[in-house]
Amino acid sequence: MKPSLQIRLVVGVVSAVLLLLIVFSVGIYTVIRGALLRQFDASLVSIAQILAASVEVDGNEIELEFEAQQMPEFQDRNRPTYYQLWHLDGTVVAKSSLLDSSELPRLSGSLTKPDFRTIKGSGGRVERVAGFSFIPRLSNDDDRKPTEQQPLTLAVARDSTSVLSQLRFLQWLLFFASAAVTALSVLVAALTVRQGLRPLTAIADEIASIRENDLATRIGTEGVPGELLPIKDRLNDLLSRLEDAFKRERRFTADVAHELRTPLAGIRSTLEVTLTRIRDVNEYQASLSDCLTISKNMQRMMDNLLTLARLDARQITFRRVRIELAELVSSCWMSFSERALEREIIFENNVPLKMTYESDPEKLSMVMSNILDNAVEYTDRGGHIWLTAHQSRDSIEIIVSNTGCKLTSEEALQVFDCFWRGDASRANTGDHFGLGLGLVQRIVRALGGSVSAELQNGGIFAVRLTFPNKNMSK
Amino acid sequence: MRLLIIEDYRPLRQSLTKGLQEAGFAVDTTGDGQEGLWYATSNDYDVIILDLMLPGMDGLTILKKLRAKGRKSHVLILTAKDTLQDRITGLDLGADDYLVKPFAFEELLARVRALLRRSYRQKNPHIKIKDLQIDLTTQKVRRGHEEIQLTPREYALLGYLAMRRGQTVSRTDIWEHVYEFKSTASSNVVDVYVGYLRKKIEQPGKAPLIHTVRGRGYTLGVQP
Repeated sequence: MKPSLQIRLVVGVVSAVLLLLIVFSVGIYTVIRGALLRQFDASLVSIAQILAASVEVDGNEIELEFEAQQMPEFQDRNRPTYYQLWHLDGTVVAKSSLLDSSELPRLSGSLTKPDFRTIKGSGGRVERVAGFSFIPRLSNDDDRKPTEQQPLTLAVARDSTSVLSQLRFLQWLLFFASAAVTALSVLVAALTVRQGLRPLTAIADEIASIRENDLATRIGTEGVPGELLPIKDRLNDLLSRLEDAFKRERRFTADVAHELRTPLAGIRSTLEVTLTRIRDVNEYQASLSDCLTISKNMQRMMDNLLTLARLDARQITFRRVRIELAELVSSCWMSFSERALEREIIFENNVPLKMTYESDPEKLSMVMSNILDNAVEYTDRGGHIWLTAHQSRDSIEIIVSNTGCKLTSEEALQVFDCFWRGDASRANTGDHFGLGLGLVQRIVRALGGSVSAELQNGGIFAVRLTFPNKNMSK
Repeated sequence: MRLLIIEDYRPLRQSLTKGLQEAGFAVDTTGDGQEGLWYATSNDYDVIILDLMLPGMDGLTILKKLRAKGRKSHVLILTAKDTLQDRITGLDLGADDYLVKPFAFEELLARVRALLRRSYRQKNPHIKIKDLQIDLTTQKVRRGHEEIQLTPREYALLGYLAMRRGQTVSRTDIWEHVYEFKSTASSNVVDVYVGYLRKKIEQPGKAPLIHTVRGRGYTLGVQP
């Protein structure tokens, strides 16, 4: 499972906050450290300059003014400042008394650009040293010019522990502040993310509460954030499709039940009425043959339903045999010829004799029989049924037409709906269940073809079967 | 008692007609909705047995039109539609009873009898007029201790008079409630059948029960 959105968002937000804090803290620390050290160095340099200015060369004597030696910075033992003054050759001219025996390093900066170094002083103290070489000034009351100006080297050191401890304090401060902000950001992010993801949870709850018997409900009716709109719309689309499918399924089941109840009621009431008294043989025979007819019709309906169900479940396998179309039509017509004769219907089989098509003969016969059955049933007395077929380069078309159609063109579109019985003026004889053309449509589709029905001028009803020609041969 | 069956499924219509006629009812039938509405509005049926899915016009429309026209016939819906909503819709549109297919013929008969009793405000299925006893359920008729054998038509006549006992029943009423639409008999047969019935019911030495009201019709009961 992928980590939850909530965790991903929280981790993302907290990481970003942490990164920003680190960058920010490091930045602040660097800036403040730089400023503090510069300030420290500047004061060190200014002391050194004062000291350098107080060095006088009087003849060959080098003197350090007493006032300079007595500056308070050099006297403070707790936060001492040291100095040391050298000749060019390295001999010490003077150094602060607090230095005792230790020495400061000689650095080679100039008066305007001193060198700095951090050293370990006595007592583990960290000290900062500024050093430079300079030409000492001549004594004012000395008229003699020295033969040459000897540069001196001065180093001034000062305990920088306090600055470092300030910086350490700053480090800790930034660290703890960052830690606290990070911890706080976890909390805030978790809350915000949970709040922000609430519409998702709400949708999930809505989806969870949908049961198969109330598919009419739609989610997000109270508004969802823009980002979730596509999800909401797709889900609602899915729901309506599901609802339609369930409705169709339920209607089909209800139709099946309805269609079975009626003949069953016929059988039951025929038998019960017959049994109410002793009757003569003819009456019994009439009742029994009525019941037999009803059962046969029911069985045919069950067979059709089963075929429909198997077609839907793709449990039917198809053979491929080359079929003589005209012959198949003729053999299908056999079972209807008697009924047609009775009603004086004229049948014309106009399929070209040599036309063949590769398909499943049983299924194609079923299709043809159902269409012809339908045609015989609805053709007017003395009417016509005719069957034609043409082939083109990429398809074969079979058209079954009959006269006497009383449907409107809108109704003609409905003929493939299961249990739809067109001609409302005809009484239900129990022989037709409105399954025939529905079955035709599904078988034809399973065979890779298509079927349509149309109403032509003069009450002619035509069923058009189209099959792809790819496996047709002459 | 005259019934109308509007049912498009032929085997069911035939067996119902046969069974109900044998039970002593005058039965008219049709398999078409519009024809059914025509029958129902042009005759005063006691009970109409109505299918819902019909060619021509569906049962609920027939029921609505019938009630809109103020027809008081009792309507029993006989249908394969069995959902609660279907039943509620049917009853709320003015049907008096609802029976789902398939059904037991005996139950249909009992319901038809119950609707008839309701039509004539007759709660008790045993009618007693002096010593004449009529059992509306078993259709047994007794005068004192003697059981009287009646033909279905005679029983229908007696039953109708008994339901409206004490009232003067016109020949037309009798004609309309005891004879079928397709019946070829003329209304004179009413007098003939009343004569047959008198012969079987009246007993010598007892006060007559069937009285002729001159110019208006007949009354069953004790003359005051």
